[in-house]
Parts: sequence; C-alpha cells; structure tokens
Amino acid sequence: MRGIIEVENLSFGYYDKTILKNLNFKVMQGTFLAVAGPNGAGKTTLLNLLCGLLKPKNGSIDIDGANVESYSVRELAQKVAIVRQEFVPVFDFTVTEVVSMARTPYLGILGFEGPADKKHISEALEMTDTAQFASRPLANLSAGERQRVFIARALAQDTAILLLDEPTTFLDLKHQVGIYDLLKRMQREYSRTIVAVTHDINLTIQYCDETLLLGGDSSYRYGSATDIFSSQQIEKTFGVRTFEGTVGKQRFFLPIGKFAKANQITNGKS
Amino acid sequence: MAEILTPKRLTIKVCVGLAVLAMVMCLCALVGTQKISLERVFVGPGNEPGQNTDYEIFVGVRLPRVILAAIVGAALASCGVVLQAILRNPLADPYILGISSGAGLGAIIAVLSGLTWNFWGGSPIAVFAFAGALITVWLVWCIGRLTGKAQVTSLLLAGVVVNAFFSAVIMFLTAIAKSEQVFSTIFWLMGNITEKDPLVLWVGAACILTGICGLFGICHNLNVLTFGEEQAKGLGVDTEKTRIVAFGLAAFITAIAVSLSGLVGFVGLIVPHGVRLVFGPDHRQLLPISAVIGGAFLVAADTIARIVVAPAQLPVGVITAIAGGPFFLLLLAKYTRKVGWLK
Amino acid sequence: MKKFWLIFIVLIGLLSCIYYFASKSPHKLQTTNYPPTRIVSLAPDLTEILFALGLGERIVAVSNDSDYPSETAEKQKVGTFWQPNIEAIIASKPDLVVTLSFEQQKAVADTLNKLRYPVLTLKLEKINQLLAAIQEIGAATASQQRAAELVKDITDRIADLKSKFASADKVRVLWVVQVEPLRVAAPNTFINELLELAGGENVVGPAIGQYPSVGSEEILACGVEVIIQSSMDTNSIAEQQQAAQLYWSRWPNLPAVKNNRIYVIEPDTILRLGPRLPQGIELIGCCLHPDMFTQIHDVKQ
Repeated sequence: MRGIIEVENLSFGYYDKTILKNLNFKVMQGTFLAVAGPNGAGKTTLLNLLCGLLKPKNGSIDIDGANVESYSVRELAQKVAIVRQEFVPVFDFTVTEVVSMARTPYLGILGFEGPADKKHISEALEMTDTAQFASRPLANLSAGERQRVFIARALAQDTAILLLDEPTTFLDLKHQVGIYDLLKRMQREYSRTIVAVTHDINLTIQYCDETLLLGGDSSYRYGSATDIFSSQQIEKTFGVRTFEGTVGKQRFFLPIGKFAKANQITNGKS
Repeated sequence: MAEILTPKRLTIKVCVGLAVLAMVMCLCALVGTQKISLERVFVGPGNEPGQNTDYEIFVGVRLPRVILAAIVGAALASCGVVLQAILRNPLADPYILGISSGAGLGAIIAVLSGLTWNFWGGSPIAVFAFAGALITVWLVWCIGRLTGKAQVTSLLLAGVVVNAFFSAVIMFLTAIAKSEQVFSTIFWLMGNITEKDPLVLWVGAACILTGICGLFGICHNLNVLTFGEEQAKGLGVDTEKTRIVAFGLAAFITAIAVSLSGLVGFVGLIVPHGVRLVFGPDHRQLLPISAVIGGAFLVAADTIARIVVAPAQLPVGVITAIAGGPFFLLLLAKYTRKVGWLK
Repeated sequence: MKKFWLIFIVLIGLLSCIYYFASKSPHKLQTTNYPPTRIVSLAPDLTEILFALGLGERIVAVSNDSDYPSETAEKQKVGTFWQPNIEAIIASKPDLVVTLSFEQQKAVADTLNKLRYPVLTLKLEKINQLLAAIQEIGAATASQQRAAELVKDITDRIADLKSKFASADKVRVLWVVQVEPLRVAAPNTFINELLELAGGENVVGPAIGQYPSVGSEEILACGVEVIIQSSMDTNSIAEQQQAAQLYWSRWPNLPAVKNNRIYVIEPDTILRLGPRLPQGIELIGCCLHPDMFTQIHDVKQ
C-alpha cells in the first residue's frame, strides 16, 4: 500500500477557459493534503482529475509511479477512494448496503461479500459513528449523517489514497472535529494519503501537513499550511479580512466581515 | 450486521419463490373452461384422440400456456428491474427503448407480407417481431450515442422519438391493410398467451433463462450504478461495459418474450416495484425474485383472462393492468414506512 | 457459485421432464374415423354448408355465432368465430374439425393437429372457393354425391339470377359497411362479385384495401343510384333505416337520396359465403331492380 501522487505540468480547462495551469506537486505517502481556494478555482476539478474521471489537457498525473490513465477502473478503485458532495437518491438502499458497495472493486463475478469484506464494512461503520443507522434507508438520514455514511464507504474501500470533497460541509461541530480526528488517525495509524478539499482554514492549519492553495486565476501555491496562510494571503485569495491570533505555536484566523461585531472593535487593525 | 445478503440466504429465498411459482402453475393448469380432474390426467393418453380428453386438455392445451406465461412473465419482470436500474428511472419498463413499436412494426410487416414459412417452429410474426425489436434497440442505442454525452437522458429521448415514429408507421400500415390482417395485428399487439409448439417453448425458455442468469452477473454493478455514473466509476465499476451487457441482454430477452406473446404490458413495470417494496433494492436479490414473481403473476393473470368471460378470452394485458394497479397501491400503502423518500 | 449452477441444472431438468411428458406423442396409430360422426364447425358459413349436406345429426358442436338453421340452437357451443375455445372443442371429442384459414383459426387448427385431431381447413373468400369448399367437405365426410348436387344447385341458381339481372340496365350501387367513419366495399371483395351478379356496378373504383374509408368529396361526385347498408348494430332494422336516411340526407344531390333508394339489410345471407348465397344475390337484386319482382319478397326492410 503506497499512495504517492505526482502531478506534473497539469493543465486543464473547458473550451477556452483555463482552470488549472502547469500544476506541479508531489504528495508523499501518508500525507494529509488540504486543497483550498475560492469557489470555481478548480478544487473539485482537481479531485476529478486525480481519480481519473477527467483527462488532463496537458501534463500527467501519476499514482504510485504509473499514469492514472494506465489503470483499469477496478484497479484504480482499489487505490483511490473519493467522497463527493452530490447525492441523488433513486432507490432506498440501507446504510449497510451503501457502505458495502465500497467493496465492489474486490468482489468476484457474482458479487457477494466475503468475511474480509464484512470486517472492513463494520469497522468503517464504527469509525464514523454510523453503526447505529446500519439498517435505516439512506434517504431517511439527515444530510450530515449521510455525509458520514459516504465517508464510511470510502474508508471501507480500503485504499491508500482518500480524496474528499468538502467532507465536513453539513456536519455539526462534534462531527466536524470527529471526522478530522478520524482522518488524522487514518493518516497516522494506517499511513493513508488524504487529500481533502476544505473551506475551513483553521481546521486545515490544525490538522493538515501540506496545503495546495488554488488562486482562482490558475495560479497556485503549494507548501505547509503554516507557510501558506497569512492574513495578506487570505485577503488576496479570498478577499476577506481576517484577525490573526495564536494559540501556543499555532495561528488561527478569524474572518471579519463588514458587519461583523468584531469589526467595530478591531477597526483599523488588520 | 443482519442486512448483508449472503448466497445462502438468496438461494433460500429463490427456492421458496420457485416453489410458489410451481404451485401457482399447477393450480392454474387445473383451472379452465372445462372441468378436468387430476386423476384422469394421470391415467395417461389413450391410443386415439378423444380417449382421454382430460389428459389432452391438461398437457396439450393448458401446460404449454402456463409455461409460456411463466417464462414471458419472468423475462419481462427481469428486464424491468435492469432497465429501471440502468436508466435510474422508476418508470422504466422493458418497452421503453423502442422495443414495443419495433416489435409491432415487425409483426404488422409479417402479417401484410402474408408469409407462411416456419422458423424453428416460430411463425413469421414471431420472427419478424423479434428482429424488429432488436433492430429498433440497436437504432436507439446508435442515436443515443450520437446525440449526447449524458447517456441516460439521450437514450430515453431517442427511445421516445423512435417509438413515436414507428407508431406512426404502424398506424399507416394498419390503415391500408385488409381488415382481417388488421384485426390479427391488433390482437397480437394487445398481448396474449396461446398454445405453442414445445420446440418453440424450449428454445424460448432456454434463451430467457440464459439471459436472466447473465443479467444476474452484473447485479452487484447495477446496485452501484444507481448512484450515478461518477460514483460508480469511483467504486471500480466499468460503467460502459455494464450498460452494454445490461441493454444487450435485456433487449434480447424482451425481444424473445415479445415474439412469443405480443406486447404484454404492466408486468415489467410493477413487478419490480412490488418486489422492491418488500425485499429492498439490492439487485442481486431483486432480479431473481422479480423473475419468479413475474412468472407467477402472469400465469395467474392469464388464467383469469381465460375464464372470466368464457368462452371468449380477454387479452392478458387487460388483466395485468386491472389487477396490477390496485395491488400495487395496496403494497405501497402497506410498506410506505419502509421507504423514507415517499413521505 | 456452485449453488447457482445447481439450481440452474435442476431447473433445466424440471423443464425437460415437463417437456418430455408433454411432447410424448399421445397416439400410436392414426386411426381416423371415416366417415366422421362427430363433426365440429368453427364458423357459421361452414355450419350452414354442413347442414345443407344433410350432416346435421353428425354435428356435435358449432361456433357461438352459428345461428342457421334453427337446429344449431341445440348444439354445444365452442367459442366465437374469432376466438374458438380449444378446450371446449377437445371436450366434445370430435373426429373432424372444420375451420377457416385465417390466422386465429389457423393457430387453433395447428394445436389440434398436434394433438392428432383431424382438421379440415378451408379458404372461403370467393364464390368459386365456396364451391370448392363444399366439394372438399363432401369428400371428407363421405357425402360426395350430396356435395355435387348442392354445388350444381347453387351454380344453377346463380346462373339463373345472373341472366335475369343481366337483361336490365346496370345500376350504380354503393355498399356501405360502416358509417362512422364511412367505409365501403371496394371492387376486390366478394361483395363486389355479388353486386355484379345482381346487375349492379360498384361506384367505388379500385382502391387500397378491401374496405377503404372514403371522403365526402368522393361521395358527392359518385352519382350512386342505390345505397345498401349492411346492418351494423343491434338496433332494429327500422331504426337503422331511419338513421341511415338521416345520415345520407346531407348529400341531397345523389340520385339514391333523391329517389329514397337507401336500404338497410340483414347481411347474414350475403356476408356469409354459404349455401344461402343465391338468396343473398336475390336480395341484392331486389334492392337494385325492385321493378323486376312481381311478388313481394320479404326483404326485411
């Protein structure tokens, strides 16, 4: 189980609009990478490129030393798991059935799960705190609970690389932190490579090792979270003023909008 | 983890289903416009025609009908399951991709041409209907591929267009045909179960069973495919191959069913829904159980069609619609609590 | 995996058992009973022919719509013309089944053939086919002499009527089968044969199909002198006659309407290609040339 992602000179766009230009970075095994940037910067597009759904216009993406396009769909699914945002329910599968689908890349021709598969499924349910819903139809859950189920599915897929597209969007505070703790645990104990698109700068700084900041104008910056984020950078990329503070050695950023209460207090101070 | 489907549980369910089907078939073969007794049937055939009419009616008339109804019902229900999954549309039925109008066109061309040769025991109508159905599906597939990246939507639209066009051609041919030919075609189009040659039944049953087994092989992929193309690819499913296998086999099985019995409606639409409401949407279970229940349903419907306005017969499609509708509503009312998204 | 193959094999095994059982030929010898004493007729015209050949007592069952002669009321019924009930046919233990040759009846004939019941299939769509059919039935029932007599009788009567009507002027006639939408008999039907034998001339020219629907324009220009409608619903003839006169009054320029020569008749003797055909021709002739009939025939008007 390796999990190395190498992106070389990656460019991608639609028709005449370029979204990503000459992206170059390498993610080593067992890294927790955050992908940040304003809306439309190409974060989801990048994830889709990494999992082989989209083909780059230029450049290449290598997973574990081989080009993404050289893997069959099944082989790639055994290496890369992706958690997306959309959910269009057509039929009412239960939570357990949904999480069991993660074992599809490993099943034989008739498609029945073996004991190893069942072990992964139950572990995934335990880790994401969704075992209590195991028999409920997916559509009966709240958005947050559903999101945890999809994360459980990705964990059950038992891949070296986990791609997550805004995994904590609908989650309450307990579960937001819970998921990040879980992802960190996957990284530390199981050496998984995690790539998470996230809007939460503070959690990024707390948990992630590396950050890829997409500028929205096809520019990018790659480095450690502490290096990348600063009040000036945030204002430049997101157009939002922030108050910078520290807790021990870690910095945190409090966004200050025009009508935010904190604005009156820190007026003038950046 | 009581939910996960194991081969053992599935086999038990399917065997119980098959036992139910066999029972329904036997019971229905004993029912008809003439009273017959089972003991007389077992006496065996006489040396001459007319010695044991009970045997002749049971074996020569009723059994072929009951078997035909079972295999056609199984075929239509399985195809309904598969197409609803692939098209991610609960309103899909086996005829949605132009099969109905293609088969109808084939049938009316056969009737108009007045051909009489037999093909492996299949009459010209059956052969032309089969060919018409397959050619139409292929046409719809080609149009779908040409016109869109959003595969599912473009296929559905292509199916609608082709159905409309071929229906117009059928109407034209019906208008200029001789009256008895017209009547024959309309009768065929309404779907009816008749007594067929054993060879025809054998060939048909073998094809349909093989097709259903083939479809079973992609059932675990179908489960994933209902979440959408992207999600399926992310979980390692070769979506293109699964779709081709599903369409190809479903079209083939439906074409065989249509060539044997005309266009029997409703079975392919409601049996999958009914079974899904009771057993859940896991296709590895849904497909075999729908096949069995579809067969039993059509056998029962055909029996009712045979006796309710005796000595005339209703087309079996009338009974499937009348019986199927309220039955489905009942199921829906009873099991709604299981299905959250209907609330 | 193995379990599925097991089930599959068991299923195939079951199917083969059922099929072996079913397709085992039930009869070792084909001992046909000749002449047949239990005849089943599946169409009203065939029933009339059988009775005309004096085989009434040997008939055991007829189709529901066989209503002539009156002895048919006592016979067992085996389904309609369009949907013969094969179980009832078998239950009446026939040794000869007489059927027509169109699709539905052919399917029934095929099944009966497989069960080794003797079946005689006849094509009955033209007058010469009627005569041939009578002779075939005669051969199959050992009544060749009666058949020959019947054929001669029918042929003579038709020839008689033909020469009688040939002496009059040809009358332009329209035969209507349906009113809503208007459908008429075209020249390639046997009704046309009858019209011509009765001294009529069909105003409808060659058309696609045998009973095409025609538009008002065609009717306007056709100059028809006599309109004959076959009774098409269950109302009495008198009611239908009134309705017809009302319907046709929208073309007041037609000679048929001006002279009130619109007739609604019971088509049984005409549309049934059977032994009563000469009567049917006479009936038509009566409508076309009423002046030729000094006696008042009952034309059921």
